[in-house]
Amino acid sequence: MTTDLRAAVVARGLSKIYGQGDAAVQALRDIDVSFATGAFTAIMGPSGSGKSTLMHCLAGLDTVSSGHVHIGDADITTLSDKQLTLLRRERIGFVFQAFNLLPTLTAEQNIRLPLEIAGRQADQVLMDRVVETVGLRDRLSHKPSQLSGGQQQRVAVARALISKPQVIFADEPTGNLDSRSGAEVLAFLRRSVRELGQTIVMVTHDPQAASYADRVVFLRDGLLVSELAGPTPQSVHDMLLKLEA
Amino acid sequence: MLRTTLAGLVAHRLRLLLTSLAITLGVGFIAGTFVLTDTIEQGFRQLFTADAAKVAVAVTPKEEEIPGDVLKKIQALPGVADAQGLVRGTAPLLDKSGRAAGSTATSGISIVSGPLDRTNYVSGKGPAGASEAVLDENTATTRQFKVGDTITVLDVAEKKRQFTLVGIIDVGVDQNLAFTGAVGFDTATALEMTGAKGYHEVDVAAAPGVSPETLKKATSVALGKSYTIRTGDELAQKLALDSNVQLDYLILVLLLFGFVAMFVAALVIYNTFNILVAQRTREMALLRCIGATRGQVFRSILLESAVVGLVSSALGLVAGLGLGAVALNVLGSFDTPVPAGASIALTPRTIVLGLVVGLLVTVGSAVLPARGATRVAPIAALRSQVEEQSFRAGLTRSIVSGLLLAGGLALTGVAIWVLEGDVGLLSAMAGGAVFFLGVIAVGPMLMGPLAAFAGWVPRKVFGVPGRLAVDNSRRNPKRAATTTVALTIGVTLMTLISVITTSTRETVAGSLDEQFPVDFMVSAQYGREEGMPTLSPDVPAKLRALPEVGLVAEMRQIDSANAFVASMPDGEAFRPEVLSGSLAALTAGTVALSENQAKDLGVRVGDTVPLTTTEAGKVELKVVAVLAGGSLGETMPYTVNVADFERYYGPIGPSRVYVKTKDGTAVDVSRRAVEAALVAYPTAQLTSAAEVRGEFDEAFDMMFTIFAGLLGLAILISLLGIANTLSLSVHERTRESALLRALGLTRPQLRAMLSIEALVLGLIGALIGIVIGIAFGWAALQTIPNETVFSVPIPQVLLYLVLSALAGVLAAVLPARRAANASIVGSLASS
Repeated sequence: MTTDLRAAVVARGLSKIYGQGDAAVQALRDIDVSFATGAFTAIMGPSGSGKSTLMHCLAGLDTVSSGHVHIGDADITTLSDKQLTLLRRERIGFVFQAFNLLPTLTAEQNIRLPLEIAGRQADQVLMDRVVETVGLRDRLSHKPSQLSGGQQQRVAVARALISKPQVIFADEPTGNLDSRSGAEVLAFLRRSVRELGQTIVMVTHDPQAASYADRVVFLRDGLLVSELAGPTPQSVHDMLLKLEA
Repeated sequence: MLRTTLAGLVAHRLRLLLTSLAITLGVGFIAGTFVLTDTIEQGFRQLFTADAAKVAVAVTPKEEEIPGDVLKKIQALPGVADAQGLVRGTAPLLDKSGRAAGSTATSGISIVSGPLDRTNYVSGKGPAGASEAVLDENTATTRQFKVGDTITVLDVAEKKRQFTLVGIIDVGVDQNLAFTGAVGFDTATALEMTGAKGYHEVDVAAAPGVSPETLKKATSVALGKSYTIRTGDELAQKLALDSNVQLDYLILVLLLFGFVAMFVAALVIYNTFNILVAQRTREMALLRCIGATRGQVFRSILLESAVVGLVSSALGLVAGLGLGAVALNVLGSFDTPVPAGASIALTPRTIVLGLVVGLLVTVGSAVLPARGATRVAPIAALRSQVEEQSFRAGLTRSIVSGLLLAGGLALTGVAIWVLEGDVGLLSAMAGGAVFFLGVIAVGPMLMGPLAAFAGWVPRKVFGVPGRLAVDNSRRNPKRAATTTVALTIGVTLMTLISVITTSTRETVAGSLDEQFPVDFMVSAQYGREEGMPTLSPDVPAKLRALPEVGLVAEMRQIDSANAFVASMPDGEAFRPEVLSGSLAALTAGTVALSENQAKDLGVRVGDTVPLTTTEAGKVELKVVAVLAGGSLGETMPYTVNVADFERYYGPIGPSRVYVKTKDGTAVDVSRRAVEAALVAYPTAQLTSAAEVRGEFDEAFDMMFTIFAGLLGLAILISLLGIANTLSLSVHERTRESALLRALGLTRPQLRAMLSIEALVLGLIGALIGIVIGIAFGWAALQTIPNETVFSVPIPQVLLYLVLSALAGVLAAVLPARRAANASIVGSLASS
């Protein structure tokens, strides 16, 4: 099997088992999947399908039971905790559903945090561009508690973009937002793919959100069961209904 | 509700463990104090009761001694089986180098034989005959004598007499004998050696069938009112009472430290319950949603604290038993007269007191947090995220803290500039306590700026973890303030004690150099006779004859007609601080008064004071100078010139002789010469200025070590508080830590972040403590009437700063480990 040169993230034979013996739960079963560079991919599936687990394993936040995950040229399943941490720092950006920001830091400090942890200087041009794109210039000195939920998520996306990671993993980034703020954040994610060439992998259960992606992969009971290219809310919805049937 | 509370307790048992430990330590200290003193007291009582059983009636004189004919009279009374007089005087024991042992003369006592013998023999037997003697265990050990040795003792005429050592005795709890050491003879020899004219006590044994009460009555009738007559039981009670007075002081001092420890523990508990309530907001809200009233929520928290308080107080009692036993052993190893072999006493009083104090402090500290819990609205159960507690300085807080701070300062100011002496010192300390309460109130407002200050270096040095840590340390000012104040208490008291001991030490050293510019001092052994101890009048002349010696100056002192009078030695050897007038004017018919004496008499330089002398009758003296008291108390109320002194009191021996080495002679050479000259005067004590200083240093070090040890507990409890707050904060920030880890913070960096936060908290606590400690150390010194040098032991104070910071880091070890080892995915999911 050859590795797709254009893939940012590749998983081969990925399995994840929680617990032992009778209590063992197979969350992921022998998954092969790759995510293209410069593409926006959504992972979908019903509750308990293993989509969040898949993302955690792809991002090196969780260990795998068997199989391999490559981010760029690195097989992250062979790395130590320290090496993994450094890889996350350099190559991966995160946007979580909630609790994305440190309450003690301002919006700008939160955005710069990954760079500072890595001891790198912010690319001022990129910073300006990101801030401009996010549309938060007048809110940069605000603490998270002074921002709305949508604004907080936009800061989180800006933070993920600023270190120019190979891939951004977004875990239900609009799960806690009203539909208008959610649409803003999704549009922004999409724009960063188009304009900045960013690779994004997003976990969601919302067909509307998934329709912003270039491609949707579907999971059920820990198995990769289907995928859609150029999804629309309707096509995603239909596919979900079919899977749950 | 009860079941919910108990289930909650079990669920949070780990979190409550550190809190319990704080109470356990505090209660343990207090219980330990009582275990120690009760054990000592019980030991005393057993000892006295055992003694008293041998004695039916004891006769003690109201003044002077009991003459021999009175003893004979008692012996002749009907119903008396035996009566023995006890002799007590001085009989200086010579050590193996032939010098009198110790600065105070050894006590010479009689050892009676027969049923009235109350002596405890460690080894050997009692003296039988004029050539045998016994020695107390401590003196025998330090002077290296054993049974069978020959010992030399000076008799009343300073003549050397030799005895065979036949026994080693334990002087038990007699403070006096424990201090001086004791050499025991048979009664006749004791009378001869000490020159005593009678007995200081007569013990009577009753004939069969005669009750002590009957015998007491008979003795009273026979002896009249000049003697105190007690039955054996009454004697035991009196002895026990006397020893209790000293125990009461010990209890008071120890309880003071116990109070500090409990206060610190209360702060720790208050903080813990506050945090627990904050973290359980949703749990409380859920309870309210399903119908719990405010009262039920309040009671459930109080119940929780009561269970914690009760369990940890019970553990504290166990800890107290251990502490008491350890303290007893420590005291025993320091030659303190402690009854040996007493069984450890845990009295009902100790149990009740320990439980009540522990319970009250715990529940009392939880009241405010519990009230906070009742304010949780049921709707809070539905909010997804616990809101950050923001702190705003309320008007009430500003006013209360302002009043406390100003009141504390005012009280201290009055203490310094208006009041004097002990009242002044106590007021200054009270002012310090009030000011400290003000600091506690104002604490949350200080945290922001202080964290910025203390965190300045960590921010620069430790990069991102440093910056995040400093931000975290100030995000909840109330919590940070309570946590650090607990540590501040310990550091304040340590700094205060350091400043006071160092200043006093320097003052003493300074005045020693200033007032005694000499190399050696020869003084008489204390305790030898009534009044001032004196040296042989020949000593100064003998020393002046030595070629190695430069200046020899003598000071004569006398205690006559209720006045302490001294002769003025050569100005080259003794330079007391002159407050007014001049010592040059101390000519015939004049006097220099001490500051206190001048104040008592209400006289100034130029006035005339009367003085009753032994040789010249009543004289009128013109006051020419007032002298400072001197830090060693060496200035006598009256000082006159040498010629006048001889005219007033005759040629008595000097009490002190000051010696200066001749220029160009090495100090050790002249010391050997002086020693050789003093061989004929075995009781003369030769000390060098360096030795005097060394003794003071030792005393100060000892005092400091004891205080530091006692304060150590309070500091330990405050460290538990830091660890507790930190681990609760870590728990609260689980998701935050996970986010940072996801963003690429390594485990060591996360650990560093938490350690630095603790370091900053430790630094803040120490900084406040050091500033207050130094300020109030200065204030305390100002209330001392003597001129005192103010000196801050900078290395020591810096050490406290470093130790506090390190202690903070130490307290963070476990919480930081737990945070760093948590799984990122699990932590992100937890709410």
